[in-house]
Amino acid sequence: MEKVRRIQISLLILFVASLFVISIDLPALAHKVTIFAWVEGDTIFTESKFSGGKRAINAQILVFDSQGKQLLEGETDRKGEFSFKIPRITDLRIVLNAAMGHKAEWTIPESEIKQAIGAAENKGAPGSSQPIAVSLNKEEIKKLIEDSLDRKLRPIVRMMAESQSKGPSVTEIIGGIGYIFGLMGVALYFMSRGKKKNRENCND
Amino acid sequence: MHISEGVMSAPVLITGAALAAAGISVGLKKMDSDKIPEVAVLSSVFFVASLIHVPIGPSSVHLIINGINGLLLGWLCFPSILVALTLQAILFQFGGITVLGVNTVNMALPGVICYYLFGRLVSRERRIVSLVAAFSCGFFAVLFSGILVALSLVFTEESFMPVAKLIVLAHMPVMIIEGIITLFCVAFLKRVKPELLGGIYGKGS
Repeated sequence: MEKVRRIQISLLILFVASLFVISIDLPALAHKVTIFAWVEGDTIFTESKFSGGKRAINAQILVFDSQGKQLLEGETDRKGEFSFKIPRITDLRIVLNAAMGHKAEWTIPESEIKQAIGAAENKGAPGSSQPIAVSLNKEEIKKLIEDSLDRKLRPIVRMMAESQSKGPSVTEIIGGIGYIFGLMGVALYFMSRGKKKNRENCND
Repeated sequence: MHISEGVMSAPVLITGAALAAAGISVGLKKMDSDKIPEVAVLSSVFFVASLIHVPIGPSSVHLIINGINGLLLGWLCFPSILVALTLQAILFQFGGITVLGVNTVNMALPGVICYYLFGRLVSRERRIVSLVAAFSCGFFAVLFSGILVALSLVFTEESFMPVAKLIVLAHMPVMIIEGIITLFCVAFLKRVKPELLGGIYGKGS
């Protein structure tokens, strides 16, 4: 009886605690830091935030090339943003070092940088300012499309980065609690089996 | 308070893992079937507590609840917290698998320390003594955790004092909130289930 009551009370506490958690605004909770970087023309922009959506202010940013050599170092501003000119055309690994052991990184592949630089140069070319009907070869059309696609897709890419930093969902939380209780069941099962054996041995 | 993966060097990780293993083996030895439901419940509480975000302070801080864990479980809070941290690492990507040992020690050791510091006082008859002890238990468990996190970060490039100050300051609201939560828990348990508080001493295990 004693044990049953103890379990009942424990379960009650857990139930109240989980209600408390679920009633709080869930996405704004977690504890992780993320960085997101993209190329625009010859500049790389980065955005850093904690997963609650809070900006990571004055956090250190390190940029490495593919060999792991540090190319430059900077600090995020008040919006959690930091931008820099492309130091070299190579794979760039951008590491965010927020205080208290929080760290995240984002890699921009060489191809993306090359493309962005190509697009920027093309934009500046005299051909693009002339009336479109005059002369557009295949190459130019391709570049124009890529250019506008880049621009149109940017918000979507950003949105994806935002969704990446969402907090854990209710399913995951309930799942985790389920796991813990499953483990409890397994532990109790083995313990009770051990006890039974002991009892049988005593009876013999 | 969860340290991310890739921040710490191998020696720190290995030391953390070894300490955690020691703590867990002590915990498992003391565990019997009566205690398992309690361990599981407190593990779940710890698991969800990290999702309660405290909006005050310069950084992202959340509840930890290692004070209550330590107070009610003693050494058993090592296995309890390990399980919760493992699930947090897998499901939420808080912390990570390689830093599991260090994070477990950072959270569980303060719990055990507070259990020895305040456990006896909490189970005292006098209400005021026990409530003050309960508040201190919640408060200092978070404080010690902050200091341990700063200590484990010393061996990377950061220096101790500024980091420790930063962490402790950021967790000030959490310490106070956890102190109050622990206080209410103890007040509630004293009325409903006083054996839970003094139980470990009573059995002499």
